[in-house]
This record gives sequence, C-alpha cells and structure tokens, in this order.
Amino acid sequence: MSAWVRKNAWVLGLLVILVLLMGLTKAIQPSFGAGGIESLARAALPFAFATAGMAIVIIVGGIDLSVASMMAVCAVTAAVLMERMGGVPALLIALGVGIAMGAINGALIVLTRVPDIVVTLAMLFVWEGTALLILETPGGATADWLREGIRGFAFGLPKAFLVTVVLIALVWLPIRRSKLGLSIYATGSDELAAFRSGVATGRTRILAYALCGLFCAMGGLSLAALTGIGEPVPGPYLLASVAAAVLGGVVLGGGKGGLLGPIVAVFILRIIRTILTLMAVDPNVTTIVEGTIMVGVVIFGALVTTRGRRTA
Amino acid sequence: MKQLMTGAAALLMSVALAPAAFADAHGGYTIGVSNTVQGNGWREEMICAMRAQALVEGDVTGLIVAHRNTDSAGQLEDINNLIEAGVDAIVLNPSNPDALNSALETAMEQGIVVVAVDAGVTADGAYILSNNQEEYAYLGARWLFEQLGGEGDVVYMRGIAGVSADTDRDNGFQRALAEYPNINVVHEVFTGWQQDQGKQQMFDFLATGIPFDGVWTSGIDNVIVDAFLESGAPLVPIVGADNAGFVSMLTEVDGLEGAAVTNPGSVGGAGIALAVDILNGNAPDSNTVLVDPVLWENTTEEGRATIEAAQNPNLDPEWPVSVEIPGWTDYTMEQIIACEGPGEG
Repeated sequence: MSAWVRKNAWVLGLLVILVLLMGLTKAIQPSFGAGGIESLARAALPFAFATAGMAIVIIVGGIDLSVASMMAVCAVTAAVLMERMGGVPALLIALGVGIAMGAINGALIVLTRVPDIVVTLAMLFVWEGTALLILETPGGATADWLREGIRGFAFGLPKAFLVTVVLIALVWLPIRRSKLGLSIYATGSDELAAFRSGVATGRTRILAYALCGLFCAMGGLSLAALTGIGEPVPGPYLLASVAAAVLGGVVLGGGKGGLLGPIVAVFILRIIRTILTLMAVDPNVTTIVEGTIMVGVVIFGALVTTRGRRTA
Repeated sequence: MKQLMTGAAALLMSVALAPAAFADAHGGYTIGVSNTVQGNGWREEMICAMRAQALVEGDVTGLIVAHRNTDSAGQLEDINNLIEAGVDAIVLNPSNPDALNSALETAMEQGIVVVAVDAGVTADGAYILSNNQEEYAYLGARWLFEQLGGEGDVVYMRGIAGVSADTDRDNGFQRALAEYPNINVVHEVFTGWQQDQGKQQMFDFLATGIPFDGVWTSGIDNVIVDAFLESGAPLVPIVGADNAGFVSMLTEVDGLEGAAVTNPGSVGGAGIALAVDILNGNAPDSNTVLVDPVLWENTTEEGRATIEAAQNPNLDPEWPVSVEIPGWTDYTMEQIIACEGPGEG
C-alpha cells in the first residue's frame, strides 16, 4: 500500500490540488456545480488529447512541436468531409490522417537523424500550411452526434470527461502493457542500452510519434465537435500540452511518467483559468499567474523528488 | 512574514465576500467581455472603451474581461466561464460567426444578454453592433466627389475581395458614385489592406501618367500620401480612415486636402452601452445595430479644429484616433486612456 502511494505520490498530490481548487471555485462562486464541471470537462477536451500525445513522445525521449498544427489539419479534414459524407467514415479518415502525420514526423526524425525539435518545428509549418490548403477560412460542418456526444451527462458524469478518459485508456492501457509500451519507456530512458538489449528503437520512436498523431486527431475532432466547424489556424495547444505533461510528472528527457498525471494536470490548468475569470483578474495578469503556478509546482516537485531520493 | 499572512488572509476574506457583495448591489450589473486578439491597436482600443464605458454606466458594478489570444474553442471556454461567473450580459468580439453558438445559446437560456460587437454571430436572439461599413464608404466618397466639383477621375483602392467589410464598403461607394454621374473610376485595385502593396500600386499607377483628380482608399491611406510625396507628383484630394498616421498628415502635410472617416475600435464601448440599455428594458427594435461613422476633413476651419481636438499625445499611436462615438459613449478621453473598468485600478 505505502509502496503504491509512494509510486503514485505525484499523481495523488495533483488530485489533492485539483480537489482543493474545485473547493476554492465553489467558495468563490457558490453556484458552481454540475454545469460548471461539465463545461470545464468540455474545455479540457482538446488540451487533454494534445497532452496525451505530447506525453508519449516526451516519454520516448523526443518532443513534437507540431501537435497544434496536426490538430488543425484533422479538424479541417473532418469538417470538410462531414459536409460531404457520413460522420463515421469522415471520422475514421481524420484519425487515419493523424496517424499518418505522426508517422511521417517520426520517420523523418529516425531516418534523417535530425533532432526531434528541429524536424517537428519544420513540420509545424508544413502541417499549418496543409490545414490552410484544405480549408482557407473557418468553415465546414460537424455531424450532430459528434457535437452532442460531448455535451451533457452520461452515467452521472460529464460526457466530455468520459470521452477523454475512455478514449485515452482504450489506446494507452493495452499499449503500455504490451512489448511496445516497454520499448517506449526503454528507448526514452537510454536509447543505446535499449538498442543493445534488442529493442527496435527506430521503429518504437516512429510508433510513438504515430500515437501522438492519433491523439492529435482526437484533439482536432474534439475541436470540430466543440465549435461545429473546422478552423485552419492552430490554437494554443503546443505550450499548454508541454506544460501539462511536465506538471503531470512526465520528465523532459524521457523514460519517466504516465498519462494519468498529465490528464489531471490539464484539469488543474483549466480550473485555474476558471478561477481567475470568476475573480475578474486582469487578463494580462492571468497569463503571468498561470505561468508562475506552473513553474512553482514544477520546482516544488523537483525539490520533493530530490529530497525523497536522499532519504531513501 | 506576518504582514504577508495578514495580506493573504485579507485576500481570502475578500474572495469569500465578493459574491455576497455582488448579490447585495440591487440593479448593479456585472458584464462579461470576451475577445480573442491581444496586442492589436484596434482591439486594445475596443477593450479600453469597454472598460471606460462600464465605469461611467451607473448601473454597472462589475466587469470581467477575458482577453487573450486564442481560438474559437478557447473563446467557448471563456464564455462558459463568464456564464459560471453569473454575469448579466456578455459583450464579445466573436472569433467566428458560427463556432460560438453552443455557449451563446446556453447564456441566452439563462437570461444573459449577448451583444456581439464588430462582427456578427448566427445565434438567434443575440444582438449585433458594428460600424456601418456601407456608410463609411458613402461618406468619404461623397466628400471626395463634392470636393472635385462633381466631375473628374478617381482612383478606387479597395480592401480584400470577398471580405464582408469590403463588400459593404463597395455598396456605399457605388451608391455615392450613382449620385455623381460625371465622376469616373479610372483605376480600381485591391490593396489587400497591406501598406506596402497599396503603396506599390500607387507608384505603378502614377508611373503610367494617366491623369486623375482624387483617391479613395479603404484605410490604406498614409502610404498613398507617401507615394505622392516620394514620386514628386502633385497632391490630389485623398480619403482615408482615422488611423493616427493619416490624421496627423492631414494637419502637417502642406497642400494635402483630405478626409478621414472614422472606424472606431470604441465600438466596444457602444456595445457595453447597448447591453446596459437592453438590461434596463430598452432593447432596440432590430437585433442588428449599426454605428454611423463621422468624417473629418481638413479643408474648412471647423474640420481642422475637429482634427486638432482629436489628437492627443497620450493616445496610443496604434489606436484609431476616434476614441469616442457620439450618441453612444459617455466617457472622457482621459478615462479611455486610463483604461480602467469598475472595480479595477
């Protein structure tokens, strides 16, 4: 039991912070309730998927700067296709496009041996241009069931929250328990050691980037579901996803962390924005507060980790 | 340390008491603002006009401003947060006419007044308040044709093809043109609302040597004056917008006859005024309200006095010069420059 707590201390700490922040929200705005949590879950949707994708590539030892652009490509692809064909085939095509874009990112990194940060920075512009090529100005349409699928409640929980948790678990849990999951962590910890132990590190990295592309496609689809249209200009998901991944306990450099922490971190970052709005804080100060909280928590986390190591 | 603790305690107390204070103020409205472009002069003027107008509206006790660079999903999040904050009205500059409907409909179901400024939204029941772009073009074109004595050749420098503001302005220009049958358009171009492109187009046309008597621009104005000055061509009457650069040229460039038509970012302040009117039961007959522009010209004593009065060294050079809208806004120039809303500062 205590071993389990120690192993998951970071995530448990985040959950405590989230509960405290929800309490604070309730204190500031007594009418904050189910409706507020439901709209919070909806706001978190695109951030959660972007963060899940980002966390996987950071765990494998890389970084993907093109997440927001890939989301835009998938959002406009879905919005354009849904105007012309059924929702389900359009959705599957958008997911396929996401996987393909991620795999291209990964393949370029592995084959050219150019650093991840350089390749994905370049691809950020390639995917951004692709999105504009598909749809020059915001438009298109989204299937009704997709829009309704993230609004309201099911089984007593916000549908958006269920969609986030179920989809991420469905993709990630089987992989984490498989050989591929082990290879991702091994490659991220020490690529050379992993290679010498017989891990196909190149293929592992390409697959990790493809997974990131898949989550970006889900993020793009959730953008289309939220707005009912496709927007070709990427939103603010790159920095937010890196921040949530780090805040969620994923170590920049690779090999450590999971997806649960980052998802909790996404909710923490969203509720902080809600609190700042409720308190009518000056919008220019809001950004400073968000950044400061993030740095503060990460520094605190580093302190706790190093102290823990010393006493252990 | 002790001081810090006291400060923190005071902060917590005020946080805990704030909602109670809102509930007590009878008839005191809280207005939420949502905007998705930060750091653009026109938008910053809009936000400051909203704050200043909320400050002078007696019925407004609180203003919550969600103002950041984000996409439509982010604006949805902001609007939902404003709904949670229990605002009485939401005044927004929409990122897209269709994308925000889910949140705006939720707001209106809860009795929150929704006013979109500058651009429209398609949600039923929302009010839309924007500058009258057709009148903008008509006013300037009529002044120009009048200035030419009702006959002559003009250059018509438009914005971006297919953009609704450009289409509306073209309708106004054509309306004025129909009233002056002896005016000819010798050259029509789209500047793309790009300074360098508009300037090059004027250089190119001056180089052809085709004579003309006046220029109408869709807001790419000061660079057109520059093109005349740099190529040494004799100045003709020029119509532009109330951008700081062009307005100062109207007073400083020798021999320049011109007029600036206002396209104020302070339409945001008018949005706050409209929201308060609706909350007080004075809703306008139509859901779409257009703010009429004003023309400032430098050919009469009176016109020059207006331009002089509008200039203020404390005014941000990136802002449109017209900071007030007659009939809509009630704040002073000092108040909009201070940019402080109720309960701030």
